[in-house]
Amino acid sequence: MNFFERMQNLDRRYIFILVAVAVILPLIFPLGLPTYPTPPVESMFQHIDAASNRKDKAILMSIAHDPSTMPELYPMEISMLRHCFERNIKVFLIGFFPQAAAIAEMALKEVLEDYPDKSAGVDYCNFGFKPSAIMIPIILGMGDDISKAIETDAQGNKLENLPIMQNIKNYDNIQMVVEFSGGSFGGVWITYARAKFGVDVGCGITAVIAAQTYPYLQTGQLKGSLGGLKGAAEYEKLVDIFAKPQKTFSRKKLTDKQYLKQFPLSKTTYKYKKARIGMDAQAVVHIMIIVFIILGNIGYFVMKGQKK
Amino acid sequence: MKRQLPLIIVIGLGFLFVIHVFVPHPISQDFFDWFQKWIKVISPFALSLGIMSLTTVHYHKIKKKAPNWPYSYVTLIGLYVTALTGFIWGIEEGTPFMWIFRNLNVPMGATMFSLLAFYIASAAYKAFRARNLEATVLLIAAVIVMLGRVSIGNAISHWIPDATIWLLNVPNLAAQRGIGLGVGLGMVATSLKIILGIERSYLGGGD
Repeated sequence: MNFFERMQNLDRRYIFILVAVAVILPLIFPLGLPTYPTPPVESMFQHIDAASNRKDKAILMSIAHDPSTMPELYPMEISMLRHCFERNIKVFLIGFFPQAAAIAEMALKEVLEDYPDKSAGVDYCNFGFKPSAIMIPIILGMGDDISKAIETDAQGNKLENLPIMQNIKNYDNIQMVVEFSGGSFGGVWITYARAKFGVDVGCGITAVIAAQTYPYLQTGQLKGSLGGLKGAAEYEKLVDIFAKPQKTFSRKKLTDKQYLKQFPLSKTTYKYKKARIGMDAQAVVHIMIIVFIILGNIGYFVMKGQKK
Repeated sequence: MKRQLPLIIVIGLGFLFVIHVFVPHPISQDFFDWFQKWIKVISPFALSLGIMSLTTVHYHKIKKKAPNWPYSYVTLIGLYVTALTGFIWGIEEGTPFMWIFRNLNVPMGATMFSLLAFYIASAAYKAFRARNLEATVLLIAAVIVMLGRVSIGNAISHWIPDATIWLLNVPNLAAQRGIGLGVGLGMVATSLKIILGIERSYLGGGD
């Protein structure tokens, strides 16, 4: 058996070991690779940012995933909550999966550690778990009256009695609905909430389904999209360099090295840069997969030539 | 009657909901609001049915010592212990329910999904071959997108992320839209067949 034959029949456990090393090492020793925000992420950030300090607007975060997709989606949720709290944007959370309600609780707890002045029912409201069987009636009902469609929050408080609901009636007061999901991209919200009531929809999704969002982004049915860990990393960066220092979004500043120097990654708390650290590992693994593809193909063509 | 009654309900409600979308009359809206309450009442029964079905299946597996029967214990214990902790101590942060979620559910779920990276790497090495023109185009596109989605691509050349955006915005978008239109038309056709009583396979059983 020659070298190429051996390479072609390489035990896949060696590949698994190499992948594990390629993932673990950059997580322990971050490379600090730069992050370049893309238009769908910038659009999402700007759209949410437009609700800053407004009492009559809120963001609705629909958590529609379980823990399996948390490594990609959770950093997005953390960053978006941070963005809303930094900019005094009212935020609602709803979970149509039983585990989603727990994820919302976890995310809120983690971000609230840095915003002790924010309180439930005033600055944010977790609607808790609502069975997916009644998802469509709830989505349609919110178009008329959010308090009536949701009725109570996660703690069982009547929504209509909460201070956060002052000036908030229906989708006219929802700046954007953002669905975080591992398998869909806000399709139900686009079909029922956007088509009937005109509410703007965005999504935070896993990388494997990110390609499906492009037709909807082009038509404007999706106002923004965070695709996979890369989307999360880009949003983290925008929050770090614009929302946190209370600056307005500017594409010019994104390429201004002097401006960016003020916000080194080392100064950011770990939980707000998780995705950017994760992207180092992803970059190394992508390169490794490309090398695997090239090696595999070299072996394939050499063997093919030898057979001839 | 066993087949006719569900058929009458589906056909009747199917037409009523189509009418509701096109006729914004108060009667139509009242009917819709009334129906929403019905759905809220019905959904907990579906959940109970699911729990009963899961329990029965795994109970029989344990009783008959079917292959992998010890895992059925894990399923049933996981189901009832998690539910009971939620009922007794609540589901807020700091409760046993959230402890189970944080320390069992989250790491197990993340582990399952992260296995994907290992299998993709292995498959890329073993199966991603430029056997013909189509496979070669796919391979080149995959390499460009993989590079363009990480910052190393930008460090090599700004053409790589630009090419990635073009691939996603043009060929990908065209293909996705084609698939979307096909799926949409298929859904309309199937819905019409169900509402008109032509498609009856959802009723189960033979004729």
